[in-house]
Amino acid sequence: MSGALVIASRDLMAVVRSRSQLYSSMFTPLLFLVFLGNGVSQGLEPSNLPDGNFTAYLVAGAVVMTSVFSSTFSSASYYRDRDSGLLRLLLSAPLHPRALLLGKSLAALVIGVIQAMVVLLVAAPFVDFEWQYGVIPGLLIAVAAIVLLNLMLTGLAQALASRIQTMQGFHLLMNLALFPLLFFSGAFFPIDGLPAWLRVLALANPLTYAVDALELAVYASSDATFIGLGIDFTILGTLAAATYLLGLSRTPKLTYSGS
Amino acid sequence: MPDFALRAANITRTYGERRALDGFSLDVPTGGVFGLLGPNGSGKSTFIAMLAAMETPESGSLEVLGGPPSRALRGRVATVFQENTADPLMRAAEYLRFAGKLFGLSAVDLKTRIPELLARFGLGERARDPVSSLSGGMRRRLEVARALLHRPELLLLDEPTTGIDAEERAILWNTLRASAEKVTILLATNDLGEADSVCDAVAFIQSGRVVVAGTPAQLKAGLRRESVRITWPGVSSEQLARVTAWDGAGEVARDGDVVAVTTDDASTFVPRLFDLAPGEIRSVTIATASLEDAYFQHVQRRAGERVG
Repeated sequence: MSGALVIASRDLMAVVRSRSQLYSSMFTPLLFLVFLGNGVSQGLEPSNLPDGNFTAYLVAGAVVMTSVFSSTFSSASYYRDRDSGLLRLLLSAPLHPRALLLGKSLAALVIGVIQAMVVLLVAAPFVDFEWQYGVIPGLLIAVAAIVLLNLMLTGLAQALASRIQTMQGFHLLMNLALFPLLFFSGAFFPIDGLPAWLRVLALANPLTYAVDALELAVYASSDATFIGLGIDFTILGTLAAATYLLGLSRTPKLTYSGS
Repeated sequence: MPDFALRAANITRTYGERRALDGFSLDVPTGGVFGLLGPNGSGKSTFIAMLAAMETPESGSLEVLGGPPSRALRGRVATVFQENTADPLMRAAEYLRFAGKLFGLSAVDLKTRIPELLARFGLGERARDPVSSLSGGMRRRLEVARALLHRPELLLLDEPTTGIDAEERAILWNTLRASAEKVTILLATNDLGEADSVCDAVAFIQSGRVVVAGTPAQLKAGLRRESVRITWPGVSSEQLARVTAWDGAGEVARDGDVVAVTTDDASTFVPRLFDLAPGEIRSVTIATASLEDAYFQHVQRRAGERVG
Protein backbone atom coordinates (compact mmCIF):
# COMPACT_ATOMS: atom_id res chain seq x y z
CA MET A 1 0.00 0.00 0.00
CA SER A 2 2.85 2.41 0.77
CA GLY A 3 4.19 1.89 -2.76
CA ALA A 4 0.75 2.76 -4.15
CA LEU A 5 0.69 5.95 -2.08
CA VAL A 6 4.16 6.94 -3.30
CA ILE A 7 2.99 6.50 -6.90
CA ALA A 8 -0.31 8.28 -6.22
CA SER A 9 1.43 11.29 -4.67
CA ARG A 10 3.83 11.50 -7.61
CA ASP A 11 0.93 11.38 -10.11
CA LEU A 12 -0.89 14.11 -8.18
CA MET A 13 2.26 16.22 -8.19
CA ALA A 14 2.59 15.68 -11.95
CA VAL A 15 -0.98 16.89 -12.53
CA VAL A 16 -0.44 19.98 -10.36
CA ARG A 17 2.79 20.84 -12.20
CA SER A 18 1.37 20.07 -15.63
CA ARG A 19 -1.20 22.85 -15.36
CA SER A 20 -2.85 22.19 -18.71
CA GLN A 21 -4.28 18.92 -17.40
CA LEU A 22 -5.36 20.57 -14.18
CA TYR A 23 -7.48 23.17 -15.90
CA SER A 24 -8.50 21.59 -19.19
CA SER A 25 -10.78 18.96 -17.66
CA MET A 26 -12.86 21.70 -16.03
CA PHE A 27 -12.64 24.32 -18.77
CA THR A 28 -14.86 22.69 -21.41
CA PRO A 29 -17.66 21.74 -18.99
CA LEU A 30 -17.65 25.28 -17.55
CA LEU A 31 -17.85 26.66 -21.09
CA PHE A 32 -20.87 24.44 -21.69
CA LEU A 33 -22.47 25.84 -18.57
CA VAL A 34 -21.84 29.46 -19.44
CA PHE A 35 -22.65 29.45 -23.14
CA LEU A 36 -24.95 26.49 -23.74
CA GLY A 37 -26.76 26.96 -20.42
CA ASN A 38 -27.41 30.66 -20.83
CA GLY A 39 -28.05 30.37 -24.53
CA VAL A 40 -30.71 27.69 -24.20
CA SER A 41 -32.23 29.19 -21.03
CA GLN A 42 -32.70 32.58 -22.55
CA GLY A 43 -33.01 31.77 -26.22
CA LEU A 44 -35.08 28.60 -26.26
CA GLU A 45 -36.81 28.58 -22.87
CA PRO A 46 -37.26 24.81 -22.68
CA SER A 47 -40.59 24.08 -21.13
CA ASN A 48 -39.99 20.48 -20.14
CA LEU A 49 -37.44 21.19 -17.40
CA PRO A 50 -39.06 20.36 -14.08
CA ASP A 51 -37.22 22.89 -11.93
CA GLY A 52 -35.23 26.07 -12.38
CA ASN A 53 -33.45 27.12 -15.53
CA PHE A 54 -31.40 25.15 -18.04
CA THR A 55 -28.06 26.37 -16.68
CA ALA A 56 -28.91 24.92 -13.27
CA TYR A 57 -30.03 21.71 -14.92
CA LEU A 58 -26.82 21.52 -16.92
CA VAL A 59 -24.55 21.59 -13.85
CA ALA A 60 -24.95 17.86 -13.17
CA GLY A 61 -24.03 17.10 -16.79
CA ALA A 62 -21.02 19.43 -16.56
CA VAL A 63 -19.85 17.61 -13.44
CA VAL A 64 -20.15 14.25 -15.19
CA MET A 65 -18.39 15.63 -18.26
CA THR A 66 -15.55 16.88 -16.04
CA SER A 67 -15.18 13.41 -14.58
CA VAL A 68 -15.10 11.88 -18.07
CA PHE A 69 -12.33 14.25 -19.18
CA SER A 70 -10.42 13.90 -15.94
CA SER A 71 -10.39 10.10 -15.92
CA THR A 72 -9.29 10.08 -19.56
CA PHE A 73 -6.41 12.50 -18.94
CA SER A 74 -5.35 10.79 -15.74
CA SER A 75 -5.27 7.31 -17.21
CA ALA A 76 -3.23 8.64 -20.11
CA SER A 77 -0.43 9.15 -17.55
CA TYR A 78 0.33 5.47 -18.10
CA TYR A 79 1.40 6.33 -21.67
CA ARG A 80 3.34 9.41 -20.56
CA ASP A 81 5.23 7.33 -18.00
CA ARG A 82 5.92 4.68 -20.60
CA ASP A 83 7.20 7.23 -23.10
CA SER A 84 9.28 9.17 -20.56
CA GLY A 85 10.88 5.92 -19.32
CA LEU A 86 9.52 6.22 -15.78
CA LEU A 87 7.42 3.08 -16.22
CA ARG A 88 10.63 1.05 -16.48
CA LEU A 89 11.71 2.28 -13.08
CA LEU A 90 8.28 1.53 -11.61
CA LEU A 91 8.32 -2.00 -13.02
CA SER A 92 11.85 -2.65 -11.80
CA ALA A 93 10.99 -1.68 -8.21
CA PRO A 94 10.21 -4.39 -5.67
CA LEU A 95 6.50 -3.59 -5.74
CA HIS A 96 3.54 -5.73 -6.64
CA PRO A 97 2.36 -4.54 -10.07
CA ARG A 98 -1.06 -3.92 -8.55
CA ALA A 99 0.50 -1.28 -6.29
CA LEU A 100 1.34 0.61 -9.46
CA LEU A 101 -2.23 0.34 -10.74
CA LEU A 102 -3.69 1.18 -7.36
CA GLY A 103 -1.45 4.24 -7.00
CA LYS A 104 -2.32 5.54 -10.44
CA SER A 105 -6.03 4.95 -9.96
CA LEU A 106 -6.00 6.62 -6.54
CA ALA A 107 -4.40 9.72 -8.05
CA ALA A 108 -6.92 9.70 -10.91
CA LEU A 109 -9.75 9.31 -8.42
CA VAL A 110 -8.57 12.20 -6.23
CA ILE A 111 -8.05 14.51 -9.20
CA GLY A 112 -11.38 13.55 -10.78
CA VAL A 113 -13.34 14.09 -7.59
CA ILE A 114 -11.64 17.43 -6.84
CA GLN A 115 -12.17 18.72 -10.38
CA ALA A 116 -15.80 17.64 -10.45
CA MET A 117 -16.44 19.24 -7.06
CA VAL A 118 -14.75 22.46 -8.21
CA VAL A 119 -17.14 22.66 -11.18
CA LEU A 120 -20.12 22.04 -8.89
CA LEU A 121 -19.00 24.58 -6.31
CA VAL A 122 -18.04 27.22 -8.88
CA ALA A 123 -21.47 26.90 -10.52
CA ALA A 124 -23.54 26.71 -7.31
CA PRO A 125 -23.58 30.44 -6.40
CA PHE A 126 -24.66 31.44 -9.90
CA VAL A 127 -27.55 29.05 -10.51
CA ASP A 128 -30.85 28.36 -8.86
CA PHE A 129 -30.42 25.01 -7.09
CA GLU A 130 -33.34 23.62 -5.10
CA TRP A 131 -31.29 21.54 -2.60
CA GLN A 132 -34.39 19.45 -1.85
CA TYR A 133 -32.61 17.46 0.90
CA GLY A 134 -30.81 20.53 2.29
CA VAL A 135 -27.42 21.93 1.28
CA ILE A 136 -25.15 19.70 3.40
CA PRO A 137 -27.02 16.41 2.71
CA GLY A 138 -27.26 17.42 -0.93
CA LEU A 139 -23.54 18.03 -1.10
CA LEU A 140 -22.83 14.70 0.60
CA ILE A 141 -25.05 12.89 -1.91
CA ALA A 142 -23.27 14.72 -4.73
CA VAL A 143 -19.84 13.77 -3.34
CA ALA A 144 -20.91 10.11 -3.04
CA ALA A 145 -22.20 10.11 -6.62
CA ILE A 146 -19.03 11.81 -7.89
CA VAL A 147 -16.77 9.35 -6.07
CA LEU A 148 -18.63 6.34 -7.50
CA LEU A 149 -18.70 7.89 -10.96
CA ASN A 150 -14.96 8.54 -10.87
CA LEU A 151 -14.24 5.05 -9.55
CA MET A 152 -16.21 3.65 -12.47
CA LEU A 153 -14.58 5.90 -15.09
CA THR A 154 -11.07 5.47 -13.70
CA GLY A 155 -11.47 1.68 -13.70
CA LEU A 156 -12.77 1.73 -17.25
CA ALA A 157 -10.01 4.07 -18.47
CA GLN A 158 -7.32 2.03 -16.74
CA ALA A 159 -8.68 -1.24 -18.14
CA LEU A 160 -8.57 0.25 -21.64
CA ALA A 161 -5.14 1.83 -21.15
CA SER A 162 -3.64 -1.53 -20.21
CA ARG A 163 -4.95 -3.06 -23.44
CA ILE A 164 -4.35 -0.32 -26.01
CA GLN A 165 -0.82 0.26 -27.25
CA THR A 166 -0.93 3.94 -28.21
CA MET A 167 -2.15 7.06 -26.43
CA GLN A 168 -3.86 8.20 -29.63
CA GLY A 169 -5.81 4.95 -29.80
CA PHE A 170 -6.73 5.25 -26.15
CA HIS A 171 -8.06 8.81 -26.52
CA LEU A 172 -9.94 7.85 -29.65
CA LEU A 173 -11.63 4.92 -27.98
CA MET A 174 -12.47 6.88 -24.83
CA ASN A 175 -14.02 9.65 -26.93
CA LEU A 176 -15.90 7.18 -29.08
CA ALA A 177 -17.24 5.35 -26.05
CA LEU A 178 -17.93 8.17 -23.64
CA PHE A 179 -19.13 11.10 -25.73
CA PRO A 180 -22.20 9.30 -27.11
CA LEU A 181 -22.92 8.12 -23.57
CA LEU A 182 -22.81 11.72 -22.38
CA PHE A 183 -25.36 12.79 -24.97
CA PHE A 184 -28.11 10.44 -23.84
CA SER A 185 -27.33 10.40 -20.13
CA GLY A 186 -29.59 13.30 -19.26
CA ALA A 187 -26.53 15.54 -19.08
CA PHE A 188 -27.88 18.01 -21.64
CA PHE A 189 -31.65 17.34 -21.57
CA PRO A 190 -33.99 15.35 -19.32
CA ILE A 191 -34.52 11.74 -20.35
CA ASP A 192 -38.08 11.79 -19.05
CA GLY A 193 -39.60 13.16 -22.22
CA LEU A 194 -37.45 11.19 -24.69
CA PRO A 195 -38.86 8.79 -27.30
CA ALA A 196 -39.15 5.24 -25.94
CA TRP A 197 -36.15 3.84 -27.89
CA LEU A 198 -33.88 6.67 -26.73
CA ARG A 199 -35.11 6.32 -23.18
CA VAL A 200 -34.19 2.60 -23.26
CA LEU A 201 -30.70 3.56 -24.40
CA ALA A 202 -30.51 6.19 -21.69
CA LEU A 203 -31.51 3.68 -19.02
CA ALA A 204 -28.81 1.28 -20.25
CA ASN A 205 -26.24 4.07 -19.93
CA PRO A 206 -24.25 4.07 -16.67
CA LEU A 207 -23.68 7.83 -16.83
CA THR A 208 -27.46 8.38 -16.63
CA TYR A 209 -27.49 7.26 -13.01
CA ALA A 210 -24.70 9.65 -12.03
CA VAL A 211 -26.49 12.56 -13.71
CA ASP A 212 -29.75 11.53 -12.07
CA ALA A 213 -28.21 11.34 -8.58
CA LEU A 214 -26.56 14.73 -9.03
CA GLU A 215 -29.76 16.34 -10.33
CA LEU A 216 -31.66 14.94 -7.35
CA ALA A 217 -28.97 16.14 -4.92
CA VAL A 218 -28.71 19.74 -6.06
CA TYR A 219 -31.14 20.73 -8.81
CA ALA A 220 -34.51 19.01 -8.36
CA SER A 221 -37.26 20.12 -6.00
CA SER A 222 -38.81 16.62 -5.90
CA ASP A 223 -38.07 13.03 -6.99
CA ALA A 224 -40.84 13.10 -9.60
CA THR A 225 -39.62 12.62 -13.17
CA PHE A 226 -36.24 11.30 -11.92
CA ILE A 227 -35.08 7.70 -11.53
CA GLY A 228 -34.45 7.86 -7.79
CA LEU A 229 -31.40 7.75 -5.53
CA GLY A 230 -31.92 4.09 -4.49
CA ILE A 231 -31.60 2.80 -8.05
CA ASP A 232 -28.92 5.35 -8.92
CA PHE A 233 -26.58 4.33 -6.10
CA THR A 234 -27.24 0.60 -6.50
CA ILE A 235 -26.26 0.71 -10.16
CA LEU A 236 -23.40 3.18 -9.70
CA GLY A 237 -22.00 1.21 -6.74
CA THR A 238 -22.14 -2.10 -8.57
CA LEU A 239 -20.59 -0.73 -11.75
CA ALA A 240 -17.96 1.24 -9.84
CA ALA A 241 -16.83 -1.87 -7.95
CA ALA A 242 -16.84 -4.01 -11.10
CA THR A 243 -14.95 -1.59 -13.36
CA TYR A 244 -12.48 -0.52 -10.69
CA LEU A 245 -11.57 -4.16 -10.06
CA LEU A 246 -11.36 -4.68 -13.83
CA GLY A 247 -8.95 -1.74 -14.00
CA LEU A 248 -6.73 -3.37 -11.41
CA SER A 249 -6.88 -6.78 -13.07
CA ARG A 250 -4.31 -6.41 -15.82
CA THR A 251 -0.84 -5.35 -14.87
CA PRO A 252 1.05 -3.07 -17.23
CA LYS A 253 3.89 -4.64 -19.13
CA LEU A 254 6.70 -3.27 -21.21
CA THR A 255 7.21 -4.94 -24.53
CA TYR A 256 10.72 -6.07 -25.25
CA SER A 257 11.52 -6.47 -28.88
CA GLY A 258 14.32 -8.78 -28.00
CA SER A 259 17.17 -6.32 -28.43
CA MET B 1 27.93 -14.03 -0.51
CA PRO B 2 27.68 -16.51 -3.42
CA ASP B 3 30.71 -17.02 -5.71
CA PHE B 4 28.60 -16.08 -8.70
CA ALA B 5 26.44 -12.97 -8.97
CA LEU B 6 24.48 -14.67 -11.68
CA ARG B 7 24.34 -18.02 -13.43
CA ALA B 8 22.38 -18.54 -16.61
CA ALA B 9 22.09 -21.90 -18.30
CA ASN B 10 20.59 -22.50 -21.71
CA ILE B 11 18.01 -19.72 -21.56
CA THR B 12 15.61 -19.15 -24.42
CA ARG B 13 13.12 -16.37 -25.01
CA THR B 14 11.18 -15.66 -28.20
CA TYR B 15 9.07 -12.71 -29.31
CA GLY B 16 6.80 -13.90 -32.07
CA GLU B 17 9.04 -15.38 -34.73
CA ARG B 18 12.15 -13.77 -33.29
CA ARG B 19 14.39 -15.72 -30.91
CA ALA B 20 15.90 -13.04 -28.65
CA LEU B 21 17.78 -15.50 -26.44
CA ASP B 22 18.73 -18.86 -27.85
CA GLY B 23 20.55 -21.19 -25.48
CA PHE B 24 22.10 -18.30 -23.55
CA SER B 25 24.55 -19.53 -20.88
CA LEU B 26 26.78 -17.35 -18.73
CA ASP B 27 28.36 -17.32 -15.25
CA VAL B 28 29.32 -13.95 -13.82
CA PRO B 29 31.55 -14.02 -10.71
CA THR B 30 30.73 -11.81 -7.74
CA GLY B 31 32.51 -8.43 -7.76
CA GLY B 32 34.06 -6.37 -10.52
CA VAL B 33 32.70 -5.19 -13.84
CA PHE B 34 31.53 -7.78 -16.34
CA GLY B 35 30.83 -6.66 -19.90
CA LEU B 36 28.13 -8.06 -22.13
CA LEU B 37 29.14 -7.10 -25.64
CA GLY B 38 27.07 -7.59 -28.72
CA PRO B 39 25.50 -5.79 -31.64
CA ASN B 40 22.07 -4.18 -31.41
CA GLY B 41 19.41 -6.86 -31.27
CA SER B 42 21.76 -9.52 -29.91
CA GLY B 43 19.67 -10.06 -26.75
CA LYS B 44 21.51 -7.91 -24.20
CA SER B 45 18.49 -5.88 -23.06
CA THR B 46 16.29 -8.95 -22.89
CA PHE B 47 18.81 -10.66 -20.62
CA ILE B 48 19.10 -7.56 -18.42
CA ALA B 49 15.30 -7.43 -18.14
CA MET B 50 15.33 -11.06 -16.98
CA LEU B 51 17.92 -10.33 -14.31
CA ALA B 52 15.71 -7.50 -13.06
CA ALA B 53 12.76 -9.93 -12.93
CA MET B 54 10.94 -7.90 -15.57
CA GLU B 55 10.98 -10.75 -18.08
CA THR B 56 10.92 -14.51 -17.65
CA PRO B 57 12.83 -17.18 -19.59
CA GLU B 58 10.80 -19.68 -21.54
CA SER B 59 13.29 -22.40 -20.77
CA GLY B 60 16.63 -22.82 -19.06
CA SER B 61 17.64 -21.82 -15.56
CA LEU B 62 18.61 -18.45 -14.14
CA GLU B 63 20.05 -17.67 -10.74
CA VAL B 64 20.66 -14.11 -9.52
CA LEU B 65 22.52 -13.49 -6.23
CA GLY B 66 22.00 -17.11 -5.29
CA GLY B 67 18.29 -17.37 -6.07
CA PRO B 68 15.78 -17.16 -8.89
CA PRO B 69 14.88 -13.66 -10.09
CA SER B 70 11.88 -12.42 -8.12
CA ARG B 71 10.12 -9.27 -7.07
CA ALA B 72 11.74 -9.46 -3.64
CA LEU B 73 15.17 -9.78 -5.24
CA ARG B 74 14.67 -6.46 -7.06
CA GLY B 75 15.52 -4.71 -3.81
CA ARG B 76 19.08 -6.11 -4.11
CA VAL B 77 19.43 -5.31 -7.81
CA ALA B 78 19.44 -1.96 -9.61
CA THR B 79 19.10 -1.24 -13.28
CA VAL B 80 20.22 1.74 -15.30
CA PHE B 81 18.22 1.46 -18.48
CA GLN B 82 19.22 2.63 -21.93
CA GLU B 83 16.55 5.32 -21.67
CA ASN B 84 16.40 7.87 -18.88
CA THR B 85 13.67 7.07 -16.39
CA ALA B 86 13.68 10.38 -14.51
CA ASP B 87 10.37 12.19 -14.64
CA PRO B 88 11.11 15.53 -16.35
CA LEU B 89 8.51 17.23 -14.13
CA MET B 90 10.45 16.33 -10.98
CA ARG B 91 13.46 18.05 -9.47
CA ALA B 92 16.67 16.04 -9.24
CA ALA B 93 16.53 15.41 -5.48
CA GLU B 94 12.79 14.81 -5.66
CA TYR B 95 13.32 12.08 -8.25
CA LEU B 96 15.85 10.35 -6.02
CA ARG B 97 13.45 10.59 -3.06
CA PHE B 98 10.68 9.07 -5.17
CA ALA B 99 12.92 6.24 -6.39
CA GLY B 100 14.25 5.64 -2.88
CA LYS B 101 10.74 5.27 -1.50
CA LEU B 102 9.86 2.82 -4.28
CA PHE B 103 12.81 0.71 -3.20
CA GLY B 104 11.78 0.87 0.45
CA LEU B 105 14.33 3.32 1.86
CA SER B 106 13.29 5.15 5.01
CA ALA B 107 12.89 8.93 5.12
CA VAL B 108 15.80 9.13 7.58
CA ASP B 109 18.08 7.15 5.27
CA LEU B 110 17.04 9.24 2.26
CA LYS B 111 17.81 12.46 4.08
CA THR B 112 21.51 11.60 4.21
CA ARG B 113 21.82 9.34 1.18
CA ILE B 114 20.40 11.76 -1.42
CA PRO B 115 22.72 14.73 -0.74
CA GLU B 116 25.65 12.32 -0.45
CA LEU B 117 25.03 10.75 -3.87
CA LEU B 118 24.16 14.04 -5.57
CA ALA B 119 27.41 15.54 -4.31
CA ARG B 120 29.43 12.49 -5.34
CA PHE B 121 28.04 12.60 -8.87
CA GLY B 122 28.60 16.35 -9.17
CA LEU B 123 24.92 17.24 -8.97
CA GLY B 124 24.82 18.79 -5.51
CA GLU B 125 24.17 22.28 -6.83
CA ARG B 126 21.47 21.03 -9.20
CA ALA B 127 19.45 19.21 -6.52
CA ARG B 128 16.51 21.60 -6.77
CA ASP B 129 16.61 21.97 -10.54
CA PRO B 130 13.98 20.26 -12.70
CA VAL B 131 15.25 17.10 -14.38
CA SER B 132 14.24 18.64 -17.71
CA SER B 133 16.89 21.36 -17.23
CA LEU B 134 19.79 18.90 -16.78
CA SER B 135 22.16 18.09 -19.64
CA GLY B 136 22.25 14.59 -21.15
CA GLY B 137 25.37 13.69 -19.20
CA MET B 138 23.92 15.00 -15.93
CA ARG B 139 20.79 12.96 -16.45
CA ARG B 140 22.87 9.82 -16.92
CA ARG B 141 24.75 10.61 -13.72
CA LEU B 142 21.43 11.11 -11.97
CA GLU B 143 20.30 7.70 -13.24
CA VAL B 144 23.41 6.02 -11.86
CA ALA B 145 23.03 7.86 -8.55
CA ARG B 146 19.42 6.67 -8.43
CA ALA B 147 20.52 3.10 -9.07
CA LEU B 148 23.05 3.19 -6.20
CA LEU B 149 20.56 4.75 -3.79
CA HIS B 150 19.35 1.49 -2.23
CA ARG B 151 22.87 -0.01 -2.08
CA PRO B 152 22.33 -2.81 -4.62
CA GLU B 153 24.55 -5.90 -4.71
CA LEU B 154 24.15 -6.23 -8.47
CA LEU B 155 24.10 -3.20 -10.76
CA LEU B 156 22.81 -3.73 -14.27
CA LEU B 157 23.93 -1.06 -16.73
CA ASP B 158 22.24 -1.22 -20.11
CA GLU B 159 24.29 1.00 -22.42
CA PRO B 160 24.56 3.66 -19.70
CA THR B 161 26.78 6.09 -21.57
CA THR B 162 25.01 6.15 -24.91
CA GLY B 163 24.76 9.68 -26.25
CA ILE B 164 27.14 11.37 -23.80
CA ASP B 165 30.53 12.85 -24.55
CA ALA B 166 33.90 11.35 -23.59
CA GLU B 167 34.43 13.72 -20.66
CA GLU B 168 31.04 12.94 -19.13
CA ARG B 169 31.72 9.25 -19.69
CA ALA B 170 34.99 9.45 -17.79
CA ILE B 171 33.36 11.36 -14.92
CA LEU B 172 30.59 8.81 -14.71
CA TRP B 173 32.88 5.78 -14.68
CA ASN B 174 35.33 7.29 -12.21
CA THR B 175 32.53 8.13 -9.80
CA LEU B 176 30.85 4.80 -10.33
CA ARG B 177 34.04 2.86 -9.69
CA ALA B 178 34.62 4.82 -6.48
CA SER B 179 31.00 4.46 -5.32
CA ALA B 180 30.38 0.83 -6.10
CA GLU B 181 33.41 -1.05 -4.85
CA LYS B 182 31.42 -3.91 -3.38
CA VAL B 183 28.89 -4.10 -6.18
CA THR B 184 28.95 -6.52 -9.08
CA ILE B 185 28.41 -4.51 -12.25
CA LEU B 186 27.04 -6.05 -15.43
CA LEU B 187 27.59 -3.67 -18.32
CA ALA B 188 25.69 -4.30 -21.54
CA THR B 189 27.21 -2.27 -24.32
CA ASN B 190 28.23 -2.23 -27.92
CA ASP B 191 31.02 0.24 -27.19
CA LEU B 192 34.08 -2.00 -27.32
CA GLY B 193 36.49 0.75 -26.27
CA GLU B 194 34.52 1.45 -23.13
CA ALA B 195 34.33 -2.25 -22.30
CA ASP B 196 38.08 -2.66 -22.87
CA SER B 197 38.84 0.13 -20.43
CA VAL B 198 36.39 -0.69 -17.61
CA CYS B 199 35.60 -4.42 -17.67
CA ASP B 200 37.40 -7.10 -15.71
CA ALA B 201 35.82 -9.77 -17.88
CA VAL B 202 33.53 -9.79 -20.90
CA ALA B 203 31.27 -12.06 -22.90
CA PHE B 204 30.62 -11.56 -26.59
CA ILE B 205 27.06 -12.35 -27.50
CA GLN B 206 25.46 -12.74 -30.86
CA SER B 207 22.03 -13.87 -31.97
CA GLY B 208 20.94 -14.52 -28.39
CA ARG B 209 23.83 -16.66 -27.21
CA VAL B 210 27.26 -16.25 -25.70
CA VAL B 211 29.96 -16.77 -28.31
CA VAL B 212 32.95 -16.53 -25.99
CA ALA B 213 33.73 -15.18 -22.50
CA GLY B 214 36.89 -14.33 -20.60
CA THR B 215 39.08 -11.47 -19.45
CA PRO B 216 40.03 -8.94 -22.14
CA ALA B 217 43.61 -10.23 -21.89
CA GLN B 218 42.51 -13.82 -22.47
CA LEU B 219 40.40 -12.85 -25.45
CA LYS B 220 43.19 -10.80 -26.98
CA ALA B 221 45.78 -13.49 -26.32
CA GLY B 222 44.73 -15.55 -29.31
CA LEU B 223 45.24 -12.64 -31.65
CA ARG B 224 48.42 -11.63 -33.42
CA ARG B 225 50.29 -8.73 -31.90
CA GLU B 226 49.19 -5.97 -34.22
CA SER B 227 45.97 -4.99 -35.83
CA VAL B 228 45.90 -3.44 -39.28
CA ARG B 229 42.76 -1.64 -40.52
CA ILE B 230 42.74 -1.07 -44.23
CA THR B 231 40.30 1.13 -46.10
CA TRP B 232 40.15 -0.81 -49.31
CA PRO B 233 37.14 -0.08 -51.55
CA GLY B 234 36.43 -2.75 -54.10
CA VAL B 235 38.59 -5.41 -52.50
CA SER B 236 37.95 -8.77 -54.15
CA SER B 237 37.56 -12.13 -52.47
CA GLU B 238 40.61 -13.36 -54.38
CA GLN B 239 42.70 -10.55 -52.93
CA LEU B 240 41.46 -11.32 -49.42
CA ALA B 241 42.20 -15.00 -49.87
CA ARG B 242 45.79 -14.15 -50.82
CA VAL B 243 46.20 -11.88 -47.78
CA THR B 244 44.85 -14.62 -45.53
CA ALA B 245 47.40 -17.09 -46.92
CA TRP B 246 50.41 -14.87 -46.14
CA ASP B 247 52.80 -15.94 -43.41
CA GLY B 248 52.21 -13.91 -40.24
CA ALA B 249 48.61 -13.00 -41.12
CA GLY B 250 46.06 -13.92 -38.47
CA GLU B 251 42.36 -13.16 -38.58
CA VAL B 252 41.04 -11.35 -41.64
CA ALA B 253 37.60 -9.78 -41.43
CA ARG B 254 35.80 -7.46 -43.79
CA ASP B 255 33.17 -4.89 -42.90
CA GLY B 256 32.17 -2.95 -46.03
CA ASP B 257 35.20 -1.08 -47.35
CA VAL B 258 37.23 -1.81 -44.22
CA VAL B 259 39.37 -4.91 -43.88
CA ALA B 260 40.74 -5.76 -40.43
CA VAL B 261 43.77 -8.04 -40.26
CA THR B 262 45.80 -9.16 -37.27
CA THR B 263 49.44 -9.81 -37.93
CA ASP B 264 52.72 -10.65 -36.18
CA ASP B 265 54.59 -7.82 -37.87
CA ALA B 266 52.82 -4.94 -39.58
CA SER B 267 56.11 -3.47 -40.91
CA THR B 268 56.52 -6.36 -43.36
CA PHE B 269 52.80 -6.93 -43.88
CA VAL B 270 51.81 -3.43 -45.03
CA PRO B 271 54.34 -3.08 -47.91
CA ARG B 272 53.09 -6.40 -49.30
CA LEU B 273 49.58 -4.97 -49.27
CA PHE B 274 50.57 -2.03 -51.45
CA ASP B 275 52.35 -4.41 -53.81
CA LEU B 276 49.21 -6.52 -54.04
CA ALA B 277 46.83 -3.64 -54.72
CA PRO B 278 48.71 -0.62 -55.99
CA GLY B 279 46.49 2.49 -56.01
CA GLU B 280 43.49 0.70 -54.49
CA ILE B 281 44.15 1.19 -50.78
CA ARG B 282 42.95 4.52 -49.35
CA SER B 283 44.37 4.28 -45.83
CA VAL B 284 46.06 1.92 -43.39
CA THR B 285 45.94 2.17 -39.59
CA ILE B 286 48.20 0.05 -37.41
CA ALA B 287 47.39 -0.54 -33.73
CA THR B 288 48.10 -2.99 -30.95
CA ALA B 289 45.47 -5.72 -30.93
CA SER B 290 42.39 -4.54 -28.97
CA LEU B 291 39.22 -6.02 -27.58
CA GLU B 292 37.58 -4.78 -30.74
CA ASP B 293 39.84 -7.07 -32.77
CA ALA B 294 38.94 -9.97 -30.51
CA TYR B 295 35.27 -9.07 -30.90
CA PHE B 296 35.47 -9.00 -34.67
CA GLN B 297 37.30 -12.27 -34.67
CA HIS B 298 34.69 -14.10 -32.61
CA VAL B 299 31.48 -12.35 -33.56
CA GLN B 300 32.12 -11.97 -37.26
CA ARG B 301 33.23 -15.58 -37.43
CA ARG B 302 29.82 -16.63 -36.17
CA ALA B 303 28.12 -14.31 -38.65
CA GLY B 304 29.95 -16.09 -41.41
CA GLU B 305 31.69 -12.93 -42.54
CA ARG B 306 35.18 -14.01 -41.69
CA VAL B 307 37.39 -14.40 -44.68
CA GLY B 308 39.67 -17.36 -45.12
